[in-house]
Amino acid sequence: MQLFYTYRHYIVTFFLFLLITGISLVFRKELEMTNIILIHLLPVVVIALRGEWIATFITTTASIALLALYAPPTLSFIVHEMIYIWSFIIFYVVGYTITFQARKIHANSVKEILYNTLSHDLKTPLSSIMGNATFVVETHPLDPALRYQALAQIIESSRQMNRLINTLLDSARLKNPQTPLKNGWCDMEDLLTVALREFRRDVLHERIEYHVSSELPLFYGDGGLLMRLFVNLIDNALKYSDEEQPINVSITTTPNAFHISFSNKCPPLEPAELANLFEKFYRAGNTADISGSGIGLSICRDITRAHHGTIRAYNDEYGIRIEVTLPILKRPASLKMDNL
Amino acid sequence: MKPHQLILIVEDDEAISRLLQLSFKQLGHKTLLAKDRQSALREIQTRNPDIILLDLGLPDGDGKELIKTVRSLLSIPIIVVSARSDEQEIIAALDAGADDYVTKPFSTNELLARVRSTQRRFMMHQTSDSLITCNDITIDVENFSALKGDQPLKLTPTEFNLLKYFILHRNQVLTHNKILKEVWGAAYEYEMQYLRTYVNALRKKIETNTTSPLYIQTELGIGYRFICTTTN
Repeated sequence: MQLFYTYRHYIVTFFLFLLITGISLVFRKELEMTNIILIHLLPVVVIALRGEWIATFITTTASIALLALYAPPTLSFIVHEMIYIWSFIIFYVVGYTITFQARKIHANSVKEILYNTLSHDLKTPLSSIMGNATFVVETHPLDPALRYQALAQIIESSRQMNRLINTLLDSARLKNPQTPLKNGWCDMEDLLTVALREFRRDVLHERIEYHVSSELPLFYGDGGLLMRLFVNLIDNALKYSDEEQPINVSITTTPNAFHISFSNKCPPLEPAELANLFEKFYRAGNTADISGSGIGLSICRDITRAHHGTIRAYNDEYGIRIEVTLPILKRPASLKMDNL
Repeated sequence: MKPHQLILIVEDDEAISRLLQLSFKQLGHKTLLAKDRQSALREIQTRNPDIILLDLGLPDGDGKELIKTVRSLLSIPIIVVSARSDEQEIIAALDAGADDYVTKPFSTNELLARVRSTQRRFMMHQTSDSLITCNDITIDVENFSALKGDQPLKLTPTEFNLLKYFILHRNQVLTHNKILKEVWGAAYEYEMQYLRTYVNALRKKIETNTTSPLYIQTELGIGYRFICTTTN
């Protein structure tokens, strides 16, 4: 189902090709070559609007190949007249121009969303910090309990801001494919522990239930990034679930991979929403009022991909489960261990 | 931490230095402020501070050089303040002779705790006692035995050496390479796999809950810190 959703444009284009080939064959006499060429431009435009170079190339080439059938000599892929060659070149020019424009528009809209979400997500904790600090400084006399509450809120908001800034820095680092991963031997349980330290203890203490296999081997990867993967998964689970509900974390291994799963209770998401969850700045439709830049899960995907792994979201009987699979590409050498 | 100490803050950011000055004054200490390496050196030579807090990102260059210079002159605690992404810088500063570090943004509590524990270490007398305790763990250096509560811990020789090294350097940040060099030997300096494997094994024996360890705390990308709240 999710696969259909991801490739829906290609499916549409495929049926479009069937349709126009049908029309062209039946009405070849009435339409004449000019109009047949024009309707073959249709799938090129549909795909070019997605702004992907390779997809545009494939579709344009397919479209031209089909067209060559009508150009004399008919029903062969050979074309003798120069005039058609020009048409075909124009096909590529149109396809690439639209792709280029589509990419520009897309980049701008991403920038705009980035601008909006970031300014929102940075300003929210910042205004909480300013508001609470001003309250403490300007209120006289101030009840000690209220004062404590305001100060605790300042600390919590600062932590939130710190997490977001770190995520943005990681995101910038991963965007540059030249930056190599700082790979080393990592203890996954240890990284989870370090990630948990980024959160206030009382927020998590009761809610997280661990299932960490006791004989976890070491994993060869970038410890700093994997720790951020855990931080963002915890952050996500905390944000999108009720305060009372438990969060399940499990880390297990099979002979060839590590499996990390986080699940939290929340209403099920639509398949389209599940597929889009890891896109940058995507937010599930029903969560407009939840603070989150949509960058958290997208960085999880980037970190997972950098380790050649996969990340998926499921609806299960419990709520939403996010599962990360990291392939074991390097195995720890057998060490000279000493005995008792 | 004894009252009325002189603390040298080497920091070029005014907001941070003001916060630090305020926190130390609150505790009854005096502070000196240096905004660059040159004036820091001058203050160190003329005023003889008790502690140095050093920001690694100074405008006039390398904090590590300053650490080396100070180390060659005096024995005083140096705590490094750094941005999070500078793991390599922190390790280099620790190797150059810094005693501990905090990363920005830090809480003043965290920083004060580091200052106290570093100072305590400088005051500490090297105990000649062969029994060393740390919370509910006791090790006997001479007889190679260890107890948790009143239960003997079954440790392999390497595990014992690692635990001993940790306890002798308790509450101190220890870089991966340093631990490997000291416990396994110079040839093992970059064999992270050994360290991870043995820390894991040791944790299973001494920690009650390995997902929230109380003794061996991981300093991500840098090393480990063995936490002792009470010792003999």
